[in-house]
Amino acid sequence: MTAIAEALPALASRRFALTTRTPRELLVPLLTPMLFALVIAPALKTALHTTAAYESYVAIGTVALLVPLNTFFLGLGVIVDRESGAQRELLTAPIPRALLVLGNLVVALVVTALQVAALIAFAVARRIHFHPDGARVLWFVVAVALLTVAMYGAAETLASRIPRQEEYVARIPAIAIAPWFLAGSLFPITAMPVVLTWVARFLPLTHALALMRYGLLGDGAGLHAIWHVHSTATAAALSLAVVTAFALALTAAAVRAFERSARS
Amino acid sequence: MVEVEALTKVYPPDVRAVDAIDFAVEPGEVFGLLGPNGAGKSTTIGMLATTIAPTGGSARIAGHDVAADPLAARRVTSVVFQEPVVDRSLTGRRHLALHARLWGVEPTEEPADVLGIAHLLDRPVGSYSGGERRRLEIARALVSRPRVLFLDEPTVGLDPRIRHELLDVLDSLRRRGDLTLLVTTHYLDEAERLCDRLAIMHAGRIVALDTPAALCSRLGDELVELRVDGDGRTALTVLRERGVAGPDSFVVGSTLTIPLVDRRARDAIAEIERAQLRVASLSTRRPTVDDVYLHLTGGRLAEAA
Repeated sequence: MTAIAEALPALASRRFALTTRTPRELLVPLLTPMLFALVIAPALKTALHTTAAYESYVAIGTVALLVPLNTFFLGLGVIVDRESGAQRELLTAPIPRALLVLGNLVVALVVTALQVAALIAFAVARRIHFHPDGARVLWFVVAVALLTVAMYGAAETLASRIPRQEEYVARIPAIAIAPWFLAGSLFPITAMPVVLTWVARFLPLTHALALMRYGLLGDGAGLHAIWHVHSTATAAALSLAVVTAFALALTAAAVRAFERSARS
Repeated sequence: MVEVEALTKVYPPDVRAVDAIDFAVEPGEVFGLLGPNGAGKSTTIGMLATTIAPTGGSARIAGHDVAADPLAARRVTSVVFQEPVVDRSLTGRRHLALHARLWGVEPTEEPADVLGIAHLLDRPVGSYSGGERRRLEIARALVSRPRVLFLDEPTVGLDPRIRHELLDVLDSLRRRGDLTLLVTTHYLDEAERLCDRLAIMHAGRIVALDTPAALCSRLGDELVELRVDGDGRTALTVLRERGVAGPDSFVVGSTLTIPLVDRRARDAIAEIERAQLRVASLSTRRPTVDDVYLHLTGGRLAEAA
């Protein structure tokens, strides 16, 4: 237990040091969501004559784009580590190999938190309004955290199974970006054809996004569109359970995939 | 200290990278795995270092089974890999500190001092030369005071000067006596200089295992090497018929190697002249590990590597 307590911060600290020396991993994921939140949403508001609430709606939607982009870019670091870094040295250390995945996950959570905070801060500076209300903001925080865990699990699983960076990058649009368009980021899921609405209900992103809007805007419409229940709290709890389940399952898959790839 | 029994690695569909090898390494011994690329040396090290899962057999390090108790086995070992395994953007000091934390020991820069790289520790490893980086990797491996150190082709890719400097370093580790070294190499001089015992690997198997001197003595004290114009095999047949070449003689291309087990060199040369072969060159010399390898496998190390 002592070894684990010592090793996890050491591994996370190493990964964080490597990440901060790779500005690409920090800045690139932030660009597209910033563009959506600060340029495209205000432009759509003007062009479509919608209300200021739409800017807030899209700003939260862009958080759901930032998280997958950020985690999948961090996943690239796993491949770099394997190809030209010190991963093999870490694999010979007397620690459970799952700690290597968890160390990376800690950094994914920290970097995501910083980026989400930056996005929200820029949005506020751009006079986009949010309505955080006491404890309700925790739904936002927990949803972002769990979505980060789930998406990083998917990224690390992919990185462990795919041998080359080029192949990994080629898969990012399909896995990290395409679901964002279906998850109610720019419009409610009920605006889509029924089949796609049902597809959206099975995406963790849809549930996380509905929780985020509930937490930061007090808007429970997304949750009701998913569950069709009267109680917003019940719908939120159900969506939280879904995102939690995805987070646990994808983290377990990431650990398993890493351990398999580490013992060829 | 290291006990290996019937250790096997088969890659799908049926590539036997390591084929039921057995050996044991005593505490404080320097044990070499010698062979060309593809002989199974690195796969063997990988299985002992628990980065490759064995398909069969067993291996124990300081009594810890590498498959059943890999964490305990890893706690008493360190590995220096064939390729650079470093974070280029991090400093040398950070590499040493991370190793210490992961192995649960107090950080120390003593190995860096001993290896002459203490003055480089605050620089990113990406700025190190190949020799400096390799020294750092060895220093890092020594931070945890391992009982067994695996060195996988420690000098490959280094220029001759750095290679000889590094051999001095490894020689000093050898003299410490409290460290068991398992070294893979395809350099014969390195193997003979460093190792107490050598296992010659070929196609996943150990084809000979002994001290370098004992391996060489298998071919006697002296041998004749001659190069002929024309087919070497035909020339060898002629010399066998005339009783000059014994069953342990061998040929590669147009070069014949004839161990002189119970015959004087002068008599053998006289008989070769009487055979009227078209001899391009002829010399006598002491057998080397290269000759042993060639005798056992039918291919020169340098050509195979």
